[in-house]
Amino acid sequence: MEYASAQFIELASGSVAALLLIGFVGGLVSGFIGSGGAFVLTPAMMSMGVPGVIAVASNMCHKFPKALVGACRRAKYGHVDVKLGLVIAASAAVGVWVGADIQQRINASFGEAGSNLYVSLAFVVVLTIVGGYVLLDAVKIYRSGRTHLEEKPSRLARWVQSVEIPGTMMHFKTAGIRISALFTIPLGFATGMLAATIAVGGFIGVPGMIYVLGAPALIASATELVIAFVMGLGGSIKYALHGLVDIRLALILLAGSLFGVQLGAIGTTYVRPYVIRVVMAAIMLIVAVSRGLVVPVYLAQLDMVDLSPGTMVGLRSASFVFLVAALGVGAFIILGAMLRGHRAVVLKRQQTAAGE
Amino acid sequence: MYSSKPYWKLCLSGAVSGALYLLLYLHEKEVMENFTRTDGFYPALPILAAFVFSIAHGAFTAYFWEVLGIRALRRE
Repeated sequence: MEYASAQFIELASGSVAALLLIGFVGGLVSGFIGSGGAFVLTPAMMSMGVPGVIAVASNMCHKFPKALVGACRRAKYGHVDVKLGLVIAASAAVGVWVGADIQQRINASFGEAGSNLYVSLAFVVVLTIVGGYVLLDAVKIYRSGRTHLEEKPSRLARWVQSVEIPGTMMHFKTAGIRISALFTIPLGFATGMLAATIAVGGFIGVPGMIYVLGAPALIASATELVIAFVMGLGGSIKYALHGLVDIRLALILLAGSLFGVQLGAIGTTYVRPYVIRVVMAAIMLIVAVSRGLVVPVYLAQLDMVDLSPGTMVGLRSASFVFLVAALGVGAFIILGAMLRGHRAVVLKRQQTAAGE
Repeated sequence: MYSSKPYWKLCLSGAVSGALYLLLYLHEKEVMENFTRTDGFYPALPILAAFVFSIAHGAFTAYFWEVLGIRALRRE
């Protein structure tokens, strides 16, 4: 019999309360945009003294049941395209495998600081480009005054939908698209690669489904939960086989996140689709700033620049504050948009009642 | 509104979810010993636990928001 108990920490009540709160906010964002929270949960657990690999494993083991509950909830509202989710998840699994392999090679060649630098640069480059594009699109929709109208597929998505490759065409009923399955392969692969690198594949998966495949934002964000479930389950099994899951951490996170994921899912029925873009862009760009702040720290560890120990501590702290702020800003926009949507519904009902 | 709020379902799912968390708290040591074993079928335990808790606690959280009057908006 093998035990790995030596690596597991004593849980203090303060840590439990913090995990419940971060779990709730992460769940709220996840239920709304399909992913999120993981980028804060892992560093938050590590700051409590949980070893990195246990934090990643426990986070993963809380992610798949959360995604399952969120997906079931949003399926009730007709938002989930299970077939699209499973097709993308199949190639995402390959992406995860390749992404993890690249990580291991970088770790072997350049050490932990090199690996951290690679992860942070991936965060900054991918999130700045994709987040910036999503934000510009959200602003464009807002300025055009078409926020209440149905979304139009992008030019790229219209081209993707027009390509006929015999034997590979698939119809995704809920998403309302007919495309060649071949287009889902690079998208799934990139989603998996990103999930293996920065733990949040949805930052590629959701915008990819919207802008490359032409799926509506509501369907894309809900379908991402199916992909997150499949990848999370696979990852959890892998970590469980090595005895690395701290089930207490996973279940405490789940206790908070299931309240959040239900509320986030309900929230999607009150808001206009462009709000999903706004939340996603805000979180991605703030996280990019957070990771950008620690790049000089890793460069210093690789002796590429000179930094005083005080500056390094300051940059690390600022980075963590930005990570928490990303989640906080996301939650704030979601709750604000829900409240406005709820008020509009109440007002409409009152006007209808007064008119009768 | 004709439908009444699901108070009983909230209580029942809350009791099941609470009992599961209480069991985890009371048997923390045994759980950690067995759930981190890598032999036989022991690695399946954390996965099964995550599924069981998600069903019980997932139901409780759904009824929780419903009882508070926070429901999905059905668009015509």
